[in-house]
Amino acid sequence: MSTTAPQVEHQLPPWELPVTTTLVVSTALATRDFQDVHHDRDLAVQRGSKDIFLNILTTTGLVQRYVGEWAGHAALIRACELRLGAPAYPGDTLSFRGTVSEVLQVGVETRQVVDVVGSVSLGDHVTARVTVVLPAGAQA
Amino acid sequence: MSVPFSGAASVAGIGATEFSKESGRSELQLSAEATLAALTDAGLSPGDVDGLVTFTMDNTAEIALARELGMGELRFFSRISYGGGAACATLQQAAMAVATGMADVVVCYRGFNERSGQRFGQVQNWAAGQSNTNGLDNAWSYPSGLSTPAATVAMQARRYMHEYGATSRDFGAVAVADRRHASTNPAAWFHGKPITIEDHQSSRMIADPLRLLDCCQESDGAVAIVVTSTERARDLAAGAVPVLAAAQGSARDQFVMTSYYRDDIGIPEMGVVGRQLWAQSGLGPADIDTAVLYDHFTPYVLMQLEELGFCGPGEAPGFVADGAIELGGRLPVNTHGGQLGEAYIHGMNGINEAVRQLRGTSVNQVEGAAHVVVTAGTGVPTSGLVLGRDG
Amino acid sequence: MSDTHDWIMEQASLLRDRGETTPRPARDPVNQPQVHTWLEAIGDPNPVYRDTPEATEVHGGPVAPPAMAQVWTMYGLDPHRPADDPLHSMMQVMDEAGFTSVLGTNCDQTYDRYLRPGDHVTVTTRLESVVGPKRTGVGEGYFVTTRSTWRVGDEQVATMLFRVLKYKPGPRSSGPDPSSTVRPARNRDSEFFWEGTAVGELRIQRCNGCGALRHPPGPMCPHCHATDQGHVVSPGRGHVYSYVTHHAPQVPGKQLPLLLAVVELDEGVRMIGELRDGTGSRLEPLSGPDSGAVEIGTPVEVGFERIDDDLTLAVWRVVDGGSA
Repeated sequence: MSTTAPQVEHQLPPWELPVTTTLVVSTALATRDFQDVHHDRDLAVQRGSKDIFLNILTTTGLVQRYVGEWAGHAALIRACELRLGAPAYPGDTLSFRGTVSEVLQVGVETRQVVDVVGSVSLGDHVTARVTVVLPAGAQA
Repeated sequence: MSVPFSGAASVAGIGATEFSKESGRSELQLSAEATLAALTDAGLSPGDVDGLVTFTMDNTAEIALARELGMGELRFFSRISYGGGAACATLQQAAMAVATGMADVVVCYRGFNERSGQRFGQVQNWAAGQSNTNGLDNAWSYPSGLSTPAATVAMQARRYMHEYGATSRDFGAVAVADRRHASTNPAAWFHGKPITIEDHQSSRMIADPLRLLDCCQESDGAVAIVVTSTERARDLAAGAVPVLAAAQGSARDQFVMTSYYRDDIGIPEMGVVGRQLWAQSGLGPADIDTAVLYDHFTPYVLMQLEELGFCGPGEAPGFVADGAIELGGRLPVNTHGGQLGEAYIHGMNGINEAVRQLRGTSVNQVEGAAHVVVTAGTGVPTSGLVLGRDG
Repeated sequence: MSDTHDWIMEQASLLRDRGETTPRPARDPVNQPQVHTWLEAIGDPNPVYRDTPEATEVHGGPVAPPAMAQVWTMYGLDPHRPADDPLHSMMQVMDEAGFTSVLGTNCDQTYDRYLRPGDHVTVTTRLESVVGPKRTGVGEGYFVTTRSTWRVGDEQVATMLFRVLKYKPGPRSSGPDPSSTVRPARNRDSEFFWEGTAVGELRIQRCNGCGALRHPPGPMCPHCHATDQGHVVSPGRGHVYSYVTHHAPQVPGKQLPLLLAVVELDEGVRMIGELRDGTGSRLEPLSGPDSGAVEIGTPVEVGFERIDDDLTLAVWRVVDGGSA
């Protein structure tokens, strides 16, 4: 393993993302998820929700953007495991933190396992484990 | 000072089932399998057994176990109360019976489907409904909603933090050590799954200040331990691991999990145990190579280190820092992974690990381990052991 | 187990036995405009997803974000589902059984390779498991797990394990039922205490022999061994000696999170009880030991919560301005 590769317990820089109605709706449409609870506030409230909320596919995309920005453009994402928790509603802030929890050697690949927690005011919105391959000698 | 009891009896065999979340078989079968394994380890057969000891809480009667294994006549049976506080006391009973000639070969056993069957971590309505003094004691906590083990421990943990400036990260050091040890133990539920302090800090709150990773898992499984005279054990298949000390303890104004009414709401009952262990064995904390400290909840491991004299009151956070209780540290604790990492078998699996350390067969062997201290359930009247290497 | 459970498991077993669905092609091939829409919405700046020198250097041309694998085969606005869609079928079974609410709990994806514009993916799905009933924080339900595989031709390119909780909204939405509060065991030694709370009195046992106060009470004074026991009525003032915020598991009759304290009374004895705000309402969850609402030493005074004719509990109200 290259000496500059991240070590276990390496912390990713935190990232805070304001959750807006525009974010929720634009990502719902970009992910082609037309369930009403992601774009129609009246129906979401009627279904017992406080407001519209972020869809799962977007959470996947945001987690991978977070890890990707840290890992650099040449990194490859191999796997992404998500455990979902509190909903992310407009007006809240989604705060991401990440830690390299494991370094695995799979064949010729050195895989970094990054544990990510994205929290909102209600608690953890997502707990994720992303497996990413960094190019040899990468700085991160 | 040592008394004639010290070293008279030995562990001659240990056995266990696999540890799981759903054993798929009855509690009686689990205990029968573990007992058979322990006897096989010792090179004995069920017909050699004449004494059985278990927990008051165990659902398997001694006679039922004896029937399954085709045991013959029994002449000693005994049960110990107070949940996990019974663990080391079962060996104390067995060793006393052997030392006094009341029995020759005693098996201590504990088996349950604690995860797939009745889970202790949930609210135990029956505990408040008992028509005895324990039920009356619980009347002062359960109706208000203080009714799970985690919450009762959290109440003490918060006070401990207040008095000594301990933090959640200090509790986390115990979880990290346990899970590191479990990660290299193929028998552990969390084999191959170490955690970091950040994992601990980001795990969800169960009973603030206790997080999920401060609480042990719930498990199905059984453990059995064969005790006989040291003299006889030396001639058996696995040799002797002498019981150098064995003690029970309850402190002033003691309750089960809610000893909140005395000056010190910590666990002085473990101090009662510790003082006896050192007196019986003639040893002290400095002589101990590795410890198995009951860890259903992390804060109690810190309090035990203090009660047993490994450090002074309030000094445990410093004592456990920087990997000091991990393999290679000054006092490796719970090298099997503890109940947080291996399994929660009411403390009995920890006794097996102490025996493996002294035989030199642990997967996380402490080089040259000669003296191991083991403790039982905390927050309740409890017990402890010092086991030694023979010769 | 109940008939409903048996029926659910039977249906699950039938759906599981069907195995993989027939491959369903994406509406469109992987294409740059849809990738651009995703990148704009998610805000992902990675140049390899665009026609850039970096994309050429790393992948020999632009690729799609791996998380988009599922996007290509989303159903879109068309409400029709193929008859063999196992998730949809299982959701209908659960709805029929009364488990009408749904919550995504897990989504685990793996990526064999990054997709390029022009790749035309298909997806197959099978029902992996239905596990339950489980009591959860939101109510009783079943975890339904499906596994999907995306392919280009015969080549597997991505997989997904997707798990939802299909549940009956439970106590959280309807509120806890106070009548399910755990009842205290009582006998002649403790009855005076519960008779006291029922009439709004906080009674502390007092030894008629030596005058010592004691809680919890008992029949014999540990100091003088007198068995003649009386009580005093306490004004019910004290401070928080320790406290805990109980989040899990559920507690009969209580709404979580639940704030509980050991209170040290001015008389010197300690009692356990729920902490309330100054008006006697539930305290909102504390975020941590330094939240400021309650801490060790916070002054409190007693209040009474009548559960029913048989039980009234002492609760502890934070005295206004007390936490300074």
